[in-house]
This record gives sequence, structure tokens and C-alpha cells, in this order.
Amino acid sequence: MSTTSEPARQQAAEVDILEELKAELAHDLEEERPPHAGPLAQVAAGLVTLALGVAGMVLALGYGLGSLTEPGPGLWPFAVAVAVTALSIAQIVFGREAQDTEQFTRSSALTGLGVLSLIGLAALLPVIGFEVPSLVLMVIWLRFLGGESWRLTAVISVVTVAAFYALFVLALSIPLPRLI
Amino acid sequence: MTIIVGYLDTPEGRAALETGIAEAALRDLPLVVVNSPRRGAPVDVDMLAPEQVSAIVDRATDHGVRVEVRQPLHGDSLAETLESVAREVDASLVVIGLRHRSPVGKLILGSTAQRILLDASVPVLAVKADR
Amino acid sequence: MDFTPIIDGFGIVLQPTNLLYCLVGVLIGMLIGVLPGLGPAATIAILLPITYGIEPVSAIIMLAGIFYGAQYGGTITSVLLRLPGEASSVVTVFDGFAMAKQGRAGAALGIAAIGSFIGGTVSIIGLSVLAPVVAGYALDFGPPEYAALGLLGVLLVSTVGNGGKLKAIIAASIGLLIATVGRDTFTGAERFTFANLNLADGIDFVPIAMGLFGLGEILYNLEENHKKVHAPAKVTKVWPSRKDLSDSKGAIARGSGIGFGLGVLPGGGAVLSSLVAYAVEKRRAKQPERFGRGAIEGVAAPETANNAAATSSFIPLLTLGIPANATMALMFGALLIQGVQPGPQLVDSHPDIFWGVINSMYIGNILLLIMSIPMVGIFVRILRVRPAILAPITALITMLGVYTVNNSVFDIYLVIVFGVVGYLMKKFGFDPGPMVLAFVLGTLIESSARQSLLIFGGDPTGFVSRPISGTILAAILAVVLFPLVRKVIRARRGEPADVRTPEEAAVSQAPAETPDRETTEAK
Repeated sequence: MSTTSEPARQQAAEVDILEELKAELAHDLEEERPPHAGPLAQVAAGLVTLALGVAGMVLALGYGLGSLTEPGPGLWPFAVAVAVTALSIAQIVFGREAQDTEQFTRSSALTGLGVLSLIGLAALLPVIGFEVPSLVLMVIWLRFLGGESWRLTAVISVVTVAAFYALFVLALSIPLPRLI
Repeated sequence: MTIIVGYLDTPEGRAALETGIAEAALRDLPLVVVNSPRRGAPVDVDMLAPEQVSAIVDRATDHGVRVEVRQPLHGDSLAETLESVAREVDASLVVIGLRHRSPVGKLILGSTAQRILLDASVPVLAVKADR
Repeated sequence: MDFTPIIDGFGIVLQPTNLLYCLVGVLIGMLIGVLPGLGPAATIAILLPITYGIEPVSAIIMLAGIFYGAQYGGTITSVLLRLPGEASSVVTVFDGFAMAKQGRAGAALGIAAIGSFIGGTVSIIGLSVLAPVVAGYALDFGPPEYAALGLLGVLLVSTVGNGGKLKAIIAASIGLLIATVGRDTFTGAERFTFANLNLADGIDFVPIAMGLFGLGEILYNLEENHKKVHAPAKVTKVWPSRKDLSDSKGAIARGSGIGFGLGVLPGGGAVLSSLVAYAVEKRRAKQPERFGRGAIEGVAAPETANNAAATSSFIPLLTLGIPANATMALMFGALLIQGVQPGPQLVDSHPDIFWGVINSMYIGNILLLIMSIPMVGIFVRILRVRPAILAPITALITMLGVYTVNNSVFDIYLVIVFGVVGYLMKKFGFDPGPMVLAFVLGTLIESSARQSLLIFGGDPTGFVSRPISGTILAAILAVVLFPLVRKVIRARRGEPADVRTPEEAAVSQAPAETPDRETTEAK
């Protein structure tokens, strides 16, 4: 009796260690991201796609559905939009329990700042060339988003923009709006 | 009351550790070894491997010193992290290793040691590596 | 079998420029495989502007190299740091890291390299044999078959794999919708353009891809909370012993088969293959307790499988013109940019591309094997660079890169818009992959469906009556109903509705961009 149960118990104990390792790994990976958002986020997601679906349906109807024998321009978009709408409703009704969303945290504000800096780059690029906006972008991302020291920020920003200049303008002669 | 050693696996760091151990033995205080890599990258040379940590623990206990090794991550300022650990463990002394830098080196790379020396709220013992 | 085109293919690959592009691709692939954060899909998306200036063959050779190179790169960090660089390397962590702790990191990396090479090579041979056959068969396909096949592909990619299936299908449907923006080719009417001239010709593939995969990934990673720092890993003897090699024989053989088979399926691919190969080895083993503690088969099997799968996932693209996963969707787009229409006619109309790409994979795999061992040290050094430094550089590459395509600032704004969309999608649990795949296939599906309706005289039952499209539609039905049926059966039995092994749970948390998660399949 004891001889048969012993190896089984031992095996069970060993298997547990492996399970522990896997759980640890999953936990590690999860720790790096913001916590999961609640059901509200799930519903919000569903509402956004629902809006898209309904808008698609309305607009597609406007383009004319035609008939099956002579499909109008709106037929296919309408069919797809119907699918989007139906699935969105399913998401709103059934999809609240899922754990696949993330909360917006304070670092999300940094992401927002990053996006604004990109918009700034796009806006300034045709006006004053790529060098200065790129430099500013690098500084914003390195210093304010990345928390690097001013020294490192300055060095890396200048080196990067210089490298881009050397690559795009000197080596590849690709037309970019530029100052120099 | 504890003694803190700011530790890196360099000659200066090891010198600091020896001095820290000696001081801790002398004053009969526990030792807190702080090994702080920078936050961000998945790998950092400053981070000690588990074997290195146990080697430090062995070295200290060999001299009869109670030791704890901490590995907090630092963001912008290592000095700040050291300072906060110092406050937390009620340090009476901070021991750091000092590396000789040329004037240009001090300019470009800045000096963590200088920050620690200037900002610390307790006495700082700066140790050079044995030549 | 006529071997001339195959031999010609080698001739193309062995040209110095193409060899160089292959090398560059594999190197970049390994690099980003090592780096957590960007993955092959994001990188390929960001590098799309480069493909404008070079030959189609060279472009695809390089992009392909990035793809299968990344499969191996992810292994390095899995073994040395217990940090999977790619989703397809998550399973390798369990035994790989255990081996590293026992001082056998070199053997683990070595067997992973060898397994990857063998798996890749077996897959390429299979590809070479199978692809022309499938392409020949597919020449009988008409519009109904393409419509059905496209739909099946989109569905499979959305549903096969971990969680969020409903959201993935929603994303895919929205992708189909976005594909309709612009002028309708059948009637000339403008759809969803809102009187904006830039949208009149539809939305360009490149800004969408760069935005959703490239910028979206970069923005998403900005919120990464880096908690763990590892000590630098030391790798000493980097070669498996003879015993290791003989122990792994079976695992490598089975892994090759599993990878090849699962890679072909849309939605299958590298991640799924690595999981299945590991599970199969564990179940077959006489001492399954060894797994998780340094069983060499636990490294050999998944690594072989993921490379084999990465290679075989090219088959649907090259033979049918249907991308099997998000990365293949990017290749599809890259080919379209070059004016090459993927489809069964590709093998005849562009044999240089067809065989050039396939044969480049042999060379690429050899390069991988040669470089993987000596360069491990260098690759691990890369990990010391803080992501905060790489982020703005990649962002700049993306922004300036998209500008160079059309000298258009509007394109930059498009990338930003889709970057934000991609970021929000990931925050809310939507996979960008199915959306891009559906976008890429959307025009094909719609025009095929409309052509079919014209052929059938407006009678949709024609889809069912044709044997091939009917079968495909039945498959679609099965795919849609299967999970629902499973849930009902489980509920009846009183089992939990969502059963996942801890491995699958770990994989679903895996980093390295959503495109690398199973549903989008990039790594």
C-alpha cells in the first residue's frame, strides 16, 4: 500500500512545483502591465463598436443596397456593419466578465503626451523641416516619458537626429523637408 | 542603527564591502548591503546574481556580522534610493566605493558619489579600491 | 517534377544582394526576438517603407528572415533570463531556464538552434513539395471559392487561439468595413470618404499596418511597468552533448511535423505549435516529471515546432494568396505594394518570387544556425539598453519612414490615428491582428462575393451548391458553432466554461505585442 502511494504522492508534489513555476511566470508577465479594468470597460468597448456598426449600417443604407441580382455599393458594407452591430450587442450582454482589458493609469497620461508630441512633429515637419521637431520629440520622450537624465537625453537626441540626417539625407538622398 | 554599503561588483565596491563589514564588526551593528540596478532594461550589469548575493552573505557572517542584502531598483537617482533605504533602516553610516575619474570623466558622466556625499543625512565613508 | 524553377530560385537567392538582405533580415529578426517589446509583426510593419525601394524578391526575403529569425531570438531570453522574448518561446522557459540553472544554458540554446534549423528545413522541403501542388489545385478556384476561403481565413485567425474571440471577430469585421472606404470598383460610388480627397482611393495599407502594429505597439509599451531586472547571464559551453542530441531526436522529429502541420492552418502557427509540441512530448515521455526541470525535449520540441510553423505559414499566402496570420497579412500587403498579386498564379507568373523566397529560407536557416551560437553574447548585451531609449528612436523611424513613402504628411497623421486606435484596442482587449488581416483581405472577399452573386444570378445558394465553396462554408459554420457547442456541453457536465492549462494561461499573458499572441500570430 505504502509503496504504490509513495511515488504517486511524490509525483503529485513534483507536478505541483511545475504548476507553481508556470503560475509564477504568468504572474510575472501580468505584473508588468496595469491592472485589469472592470466590466464598465467591457461595456464601453462594446458601445463604441456598436456605434461604429450602427453608423456603418446607416451610411451603407444611404449608398443604396441594390438587390442580390444587382448589388449596390452599400450592400456589402451593410452586411458587415450588421455583423459588427450584432456582435457588439453580444459583447455588451455577454462580455462583462473577461479579464482582457487594462486600466488607464498615470502612465497613460505619458502615452497621451507621446501622442501629442507625434502630432506636433507631423504639424511642424513641413514647416521647419524634420531636424528640430525630431530633436524635440526625442527630448520629450527621453526626458519626460523615459525619465532619463538631461545629460543622456541631450547626447542621445543629438546623436539620433544626426544619424537620421546622415542616413536619410546623405546616404540615401531621400527627400525630407529639412532645414540644413 | 545599521551600516549601509552601496555595492557594485567592482574593485571599489568590494573595497567598500570590506570596510563596511569591518565597521559593522567594530561597532557591533548589522549591515545592510544595497545593490541597486537601474530600472528599465531587462538586464543590468549592476544587478547581482543570486550566487553573488550569497557570497556576500557568507563573507559578512564569516566576520560575525548580521547582514541583509537589498536590491531595490533606482529610477533617476541612485543617491535618492540609497538615501531612502538609509532612512528606512536607520543607518548611522553609509559606505561607498570611490573611483578615480579624470576631470573630463567627471564632467560627462556626472558623479553619483558626489550626489551621495552631498545629499546624505548621515556620515559617508568613501573608500578607494586597493591598488 | 520540373526542377528548373527551383534551381533558378537558388540562383536568385545566391545573388550577393539577396544574400545580404537575407542576412540583414535574420539578424534584425533575432535582435527583436531578444528584445521584449517589439515583435516581428511590428518590425515588419515599421520597415515596410524600405520595401518600396528594393526588388520584391529581396523585400520578401528580408521580411521572411525577420519572421523566422525572431522565433529563435525569443529563445535566448527564455533560456537565460526566464523572460520569453516572444509568445512562441514562452513554453521554452520552463525547461530552458531550468537547464540554465543547472549550468546547461549552452546546451539548451544549442539544441534550440539545431532544432530550429531542422524544423525549418523540413518545413521548407514540405513547402517546396506541397506548394506547387496546392497552387495547381487552386487554379480551379473561382470567385465563390475565394470569397468563402477569405472569410474562413479571417474567422480562423480570429477564433483559434486564446481568449477574446468575440472581440477578435468584431475587430475583423471592422477591418472589413475599413476596407470598403473609398471608391467602389463595381459602381464607382464613393463610400465613407466624407468628401476627403485623401480617402477617395481608399486607405493605404502601409499607414494602417504601421499605425496598428508599429506605433500602437510602441505606445502600448510606454505603459510597461518594468519591475524585474536580471543579472547578466553567463553562457559557457554552447553545444549540446551527444547524449542531449540523441535524446532530442524524437522531439525534433515530432516537433517538425507538428509545426509544419499547424503552421499551415490560418490562426494556427508558431505559438500554438510550440504549445502542442511541448504537450505531446510530455505526454509521450516515460518520465513526464522531468518536464519543467530541465528535460531537453522540453526545449527541443517547442523550438523546432515554432520555426517549422513560421515557415509553413507561408504556404497559404504563396499558393492561395490567403494570409494565415497577421505577419503574413503584412507580407501580402508588401507584395501588393510591389505590384505583385499573391494567388495560385504566383508560382507561374512570378516564379522568381515564389522560389526565391522559399529557397531563401534554406539559406536563412543556415545563417541562423551559424550565427545563433557565437552571437548569443552580443544579443544578450542588447538587453541592457533601456526600452525608454529605444522607444523614441523606433517612433521616429516610423514617423519619418511613412513620410518617405508618398511625401505625404497626411500619411503621418494616418499612422498616428491608427497608432492610437491600435493602442486603445490593446487596452480594451481587442487584437489588432484580425483587423489588419481582414482589411487586407476585405477587398478580395467583397469583390469575390459580388462576382459570385453575378455568376449565380443573385442566388446565394450557389455558394453551397458548388462543392469546394460548399465545403469551405461548412467549415466556417463548424468554426463558428464549435466553441458554442463546447460551452453548452461543458455547462451540462458542470465543468468550468473556460478551461486552460497553466501553459496556455502563461502564453496568454505573454508580452511582445499582441500580434505575437496566438490569434494574430507573428512570433
